[in-house]
Amino acid sequence: MLLHYLDLSWRSFKRTPLVSFLMVLAIAIGIGITMTSLSVYHMMSADPIPEKSSQLYNVQLQTMDEGRTWWKYDNMPLQLTYQDAVNLLNAPVETNKVAMVRSGFSVHLNSDTLKPFIGGARLTTPDFFNMFNVPFIYGGVWTQQQEQTAAPVVVLSEKINDKLFAGENSVGKMIYLDDLSYEVIGVIADWQLTTKYYDLNNGAFNDTEELFMPFSLLEANEFNNWGNTNGWKHEVTHTFKDKLQSERFWIQFWVQLPDEKVKNKYQDYLLAYMQDQQKNGRFNRKELQYTLRDVKQWMAYNDVVSEDNKILVALSFMFLAVCLANILGLLLAKFLRRAPEVGVRRALGASKRQIFLQHLVEVAMLGCFGGLLGIVLAQIGLLGVRQSYDYYSSLATMDLTMLISAPLIAITTCILAGLYPAWLVCRTNPAIYLKSQ
Amino acid sequence: MLEIKPIFHALCRSKVGAMLLLIQIAITTAIVSNAAFIIQDKISFLSQETGYPEQDIFLFNVMTFGKDVNVTQQFELDEAMIRQLPGVVGAAMSSSAPLTGSGSASDFSLKPAPQESLSVRTGYFFIDEHGVNTYGVKLIAGRNFTEEEVVVTDNFEKQANVTIVSQALLTELFPGENGLGKTVYFGDIPLKIVGVVEKMMGPWLKDSRPDNLAFIPFINATSSANFVVRTEPGQRASVIKQIEEAMLNNYNKRVISRIRGLDESKAEYVAQDKLMMRMLIVLITILVLVTALGIFGLTLFNISKRTKQIGTRRALGARKSAIINYFLVENAMICCVGLVLGVIVALLLGQILMQYFSIAALPPSYIIITAMGVFCMSLLAVFGPAKRAANISPSIATRTI
Repeated sequence: MLLHYLDLSWRSFKRTPLVSFLMVLAIAIGIGITMTSLSVYHMMSADPIPEKSSQLYNVQLQTMDEGRTWWKYDNMPLQLTYQDAVNLLNAPVETNKVAMVRSGFSVHLNSDTLKPFIGGARLTTPDFFNMFNVPFIYGGVWTQQQEQTAAPVVVLSEKINDKLFAGENSVGKMIYLDDLSYEVIGVIADWQLTTKYYDLNNGAFNDTEELFMPFSLLEANEFNNWGNTNGWKHEVTHTFKDKLQSERFWIQFWVQLPDEKVKNKYQDYLLAYMQDQQKNGRFNRKELQYTLRDVKQWMAYNDVVSEDNKILVALSFMFLAVCLANILGLLLAKFLRRAPEVGVRRALGASKRQIFLQHLVEVAMLGCFGGLLGIVLAQIGLLGVRQSYDYYSSLATMDLTMLISAPLIAITTCILAGLYPAWLVCRTNPAIYLKSQ
Repeated sequence: MLEIKPIFHALCRSKVGAMLLLIQIAITTAIVSNAAFIIQDKISFLSQETGYPEQDIFLFNVMTFGKDVNVTQQFELDEAMIRQLPGVVGAAMSSSAPLTGSGSASDFSLKPAPQESLSVRTGYFFIDEHGVNTYGVKLIAGRNFTEEEVVVTDNFEKQANVTIVSQALLTELFPGENGLGKTVYFGDIPLKIVGVVEKMMGPWLKDSRPDNLAFIPFINATSSANFVVRTEPGQRASVIKQIEEAMLNNYNKRVISRIRGLDESKAEYVAQDKLMMRMLIVLITILVLVTALGIFGLTLFNISKRTKQIGTRRALGARKSAIINYFLVENAMICCVGLVLGVIVALLLGQILMQYFSIAALPPSYIIITAMGVFCMSLLAVFGPAKRAANISPSIATRTI
């Protein structure tokens, strides 16, 4: 029966090509616009590490004096001080934890063959790779002992390994970062994230770093911070040592808490830590405050999806509503014009239900065409987005979910629009039309 | 003359079509007025005056890894070399650059820290006496730094003691009085305001105080440094082409990167807003077209349904203009109701946007202009089909009865 209805729909489509085409176009434009903004939104808010996003927590500590405010609604600083980060690394809770900061160097081989270039670096503790599922091609991560002794070792990204060593296994080779040499101990595979959730300070959609090195090198070699440093009170920090001991925020800290038990234990530890620090005159406030946010909460807290995108999605759906009203009007016109034909079919024994279903199949078919054409329009729209703003180039694409939802939304919209006209036409009283023919 | 009553009765017989049109007009008005307001907001943000001749300025970063030179001395030599290049007006090292989204900010206070006093957040650049000329900003009061005032140092023992500030910062620090010559505190360091610049925007255009900026004559060269160069109009591209080679010729254990025009740097910073503006423009253009098509289609349908009726009216002596009028008035009636509804929805939508997002209240003028525009558009959309209806021959009425 369905096939028969589809055949009838196709005939009806061909009989009034202009109106049918207009309807398909209206749906397609609506879907195209909605999908363009929805795709960007979808990619921005997509979970970058679905398998463990609910286990990874960003740690925030309220170190500011009573009464001090910060720009976030809960007044919590976004990063940690160096001293807190180092102390939290030594927490007696057995779990993965990572303290890190972004830096950068001029990369070269101390020879004339290769022109020095700038490479972004992440100074981090060894759990980083395991926690954030970073895949290795060659070698591996530095040991805890190397971390403690600030060993001059480095893990390269695939891209930089291609550039320096033509993609060969470079483990054991030496590279120069600024004026110091480092031994390559590992190369990671191409590691792209839709959202650079582990450090949202300098743009949520930036590329991941190209060099990864022990966090302890920060203190040993006095590296510059390439991320944000924020202070909340007047402090004189002329030397690097001043900065390490200051109350400035510049270190990102994450911890993996696989279940409630570990989480409770960790929370107890944090409170105990802050109480302990109060004895040293820090955490000068009545109520001790810490926050643990998992990956998705952290992204929402940092407004990864910009306000503009949310507004655009909302307006696009209103746009779709206008298209829906438009289609409804056209469907009404099209179906009512066909009333005489329906009258004959009713007289020949077709039930109301059958007529109703037949018309719904017809609108679903229009929706399907519209959805497919809508995908094409959305691709053009996304191309425009990428052209206009290459920072969004990895976001302005449609993944499988979006490709499937486009026709689904189109068909649903059309069926919604078609309900009333189909109902109207199936109530046709056959007698009137038989008389006038 | 306008026959409102019979038209209204006729409309009552095809409520659904009229309702659909009404809804479309209402939503269109709501979206277009709000989107137009956001677009206008973005346009004024994107085209604002920054105080710099952006087309003539370019920036680059120098990352020195060689340890066999004193970077401070080296940079002095570099600056002198750049100023010698043909077409260059000025060159300076600047601790950070405007309109780039990255830089330093601090509080300027009326009393030294940690005493509490009026504090104003401001961006600041460490830059020498070439800063004013290199950035091409307009000094409206006071004077530039003298060479003696510039502190060139490898440590922090000696501090600068003067500053040049933007007018916006001065006004905020000293509202209603002349702050030139007064002293402000940068942390606990006293700085005397010796010069005032009419307008120069800081690194962050989206900051709550984008216009606050101060120059501090303190040069403490580090391995990573920013340079600013201003050229004669039209000469920038040729200077940019030779800058990397010239810098590496001076000393080669360093990397010259991120060579870019100030306008390009700004464009990068505002790209997201530009994208939003473009998407909204596309959205409302298509929306208006779709709505116009909807009105057009529905009128055509109505006419074909009423062919006989129109023929009869014509046969009974109605003029062509009367038929056209009929459809125009009918459409205007629907449109007016739709617009009333649209104004309400627009206000509601504006309220919602204001509540959940950082968008100012929608000014009524946007709704009024949009409503008038939508009204004209709907009349235009109806006019074609109505003219066609007027051409229906009276004989149709007689033929098929």
